[in-house]
Amino acid sequence: MIEFYRVSKEYHGRRVLKNLSFQIAQGEFVFLTGPSGAGKTTVLKLLYRAEGPGEGQILVNGRNVGAMSPGRVPELRRTMGIVFQDYKLLPSRTVFENVSFVLKFLGVPLAERRRRAYHVLRMVELHHRANALPEELSGGEQQRVALARALVNEPELLIADEPTGNLDHRLAQEVMRLFSQINVRGTTVLVATHDVNLIRETGRRCLTLDRGGVLEGLVEAALPPQASWRRESGVKLPPREEETR
Amino acid sequence: MRRGAAFASLLDEALAGLWRARRVTVVSILQISFSLFLVGLFLLAAENLGGVVDTLREETAVTVYLRSGADEASKAALERTALASRLVAAVRRVSAEEARGRFARSFGNLTEAAGTLSGNPFPASVELDLLPGAISSAALRPFLANLAASPAVEEVQFDVDWVRRLRGVVRLVAAAGVAAGTFLALGAAFTIANVVRLTILLHRDEIDILRLVGAPEVLIRGPFLLGGVLQGLLGGLVALGLLAVAFRGLLFFVASTENVLLGVFVVRFLSPAVCGILVLGGTLAGLLGGTIASRRGHV
Repeated sequence: MIEFYRVSKEYHGRRVLKNLSFQIAQGEFVFLTGPSGAGKTTVLKLLYRAEGPGEGQILVNGRNVGAMSPGRVPELRRTMGIVFQDYKLLPSRTVFENVSFVLKFLGVPLAERRRRAYHVLRMVELHHRANALPEELSGGEQQRVALARALVNEPELLIADEPTGNLDHRLAQEVMRLFSQINVRGTTVLVATHDVNLIRETGRRCLTLDRGGVLEGLVEAALPPQASWRRESGVKLPPREEETR
Repeated sequence: MRRGAAFASLLDEALAGLWRARRVTVVSILQISFSLFLVGLFLLAAENLGGVVDTLREETAVTVYLRSGADEASKAALERTALASRLVAAVRRVSAEEARGRFARSFGNLTEAAGTLSGNPFPASVELDLLPGAISSAALRPFLANLAASPAVEEVQFDVDWVRRLRGVVRLVAAAGVAAGTFLALGAAFTIANVVRLTILLHRDEIDILRLVGAPEVLIRGPFLLGGVLQGLLGGLVALGLLAVAFRGLLFFVASTENVLLGVFVVRFLSPAVCGILVLGGTLAGLLGGTIASRRGHV
């Protein structure tokens, strides 16, 4: 599904990614973690081609994203759903409009838009708030609306950049439960987060970016003890918060 | 993607965008209306003056005043020369008595004064009706000079020069209208571009999100382009409405003043073709403004 081959990226002479290589298979649920400035957001931006790679090759579903012409980028993005930490909801539009306006621009008739928006809002348990404005919702609800918007076009790949960064732990768990549900339905999920506890609790594959913001290699860390790939990588994980007390 | 539904969405978004920035939109529409209204006034003036010129030209006949002692053979020769010139459609003799009668009918108050003169002061004449197109023929001047040289002719009267001058004025008015219109329409296009740019700024977040979800570029920029076109179209229609109101007002004024001269000049509204061009001009100005504002670098 996703393949990075020796990808490097610089911003104004500062190298953020260096020779980054990893693969994510179709239907996987993977966390991307690392300290602030490690390049998590950059990896995601490279995936949906908000940035072009300096060096290396990025394949998404067999398509070379780096070599893609700007005219093909919308087509690539229509296969993805993207969730942001700051939700990026439109304040003057209702929950329903926020979720469905993408479909509107893609020429989907109103009846079909309603059906699909209701379906995803029901999935995130916000169908009863369809006429509310974002400011009338809690942070967790707003993030669920953002998730519904990302899902309404039935993406093959769901990308989330710090989706729980503004949420308390309970709401973060709720959002993760939704991601898991979506993944069970066959959607590949890639979540960038620095919340190690959340990764531990969710028990999924984890890719770690490290070395003070400059990536020189990829460390794969298995958080749940039962995961086979943890034994293979042999990476030591940071202790749980309660263990440090 | 369903194209009809996509276009309906574009239109819906364009109208919603104009509504959200409605104050600026109204200013923009009024500006383009004012510009096109002025253009329309020029064209209206040119249309009516042109009509007057056409009427005068149609009604203009060459009047050949005869010497008092001109014999019948000279008059007949004059008529033959005129009909053979291929410039004249018909000839008509007007006797001195007939000329006096015309004067009395036209200027009744002065009849008494004319009566105090000894004899009939009005000369006999031959009136020549010109063929269509004769007025602009190069052969007309030599023909008139030839008539004037005839021993039977006292004077040849033909006011072709002032008709030509009037036509020149009409052309100037029309050209001034087009020049001013082009200038004002460009100004209006610039205003529309700014309004559309403002709308784009108001929708910056939506544009970012649409790009992130893979909306095609044409669907992202389309509503802004369409917004400009709609503003131009509305501006053109409002201008046309204002012109119609102004024209009716002028007609009412002319009718109330009973001024015959004004009545000659205010006779008809713009033709449907010119009305269409005016609205189309507004729409094109809107398209230009929308295109400038929604270029890739701006959206």
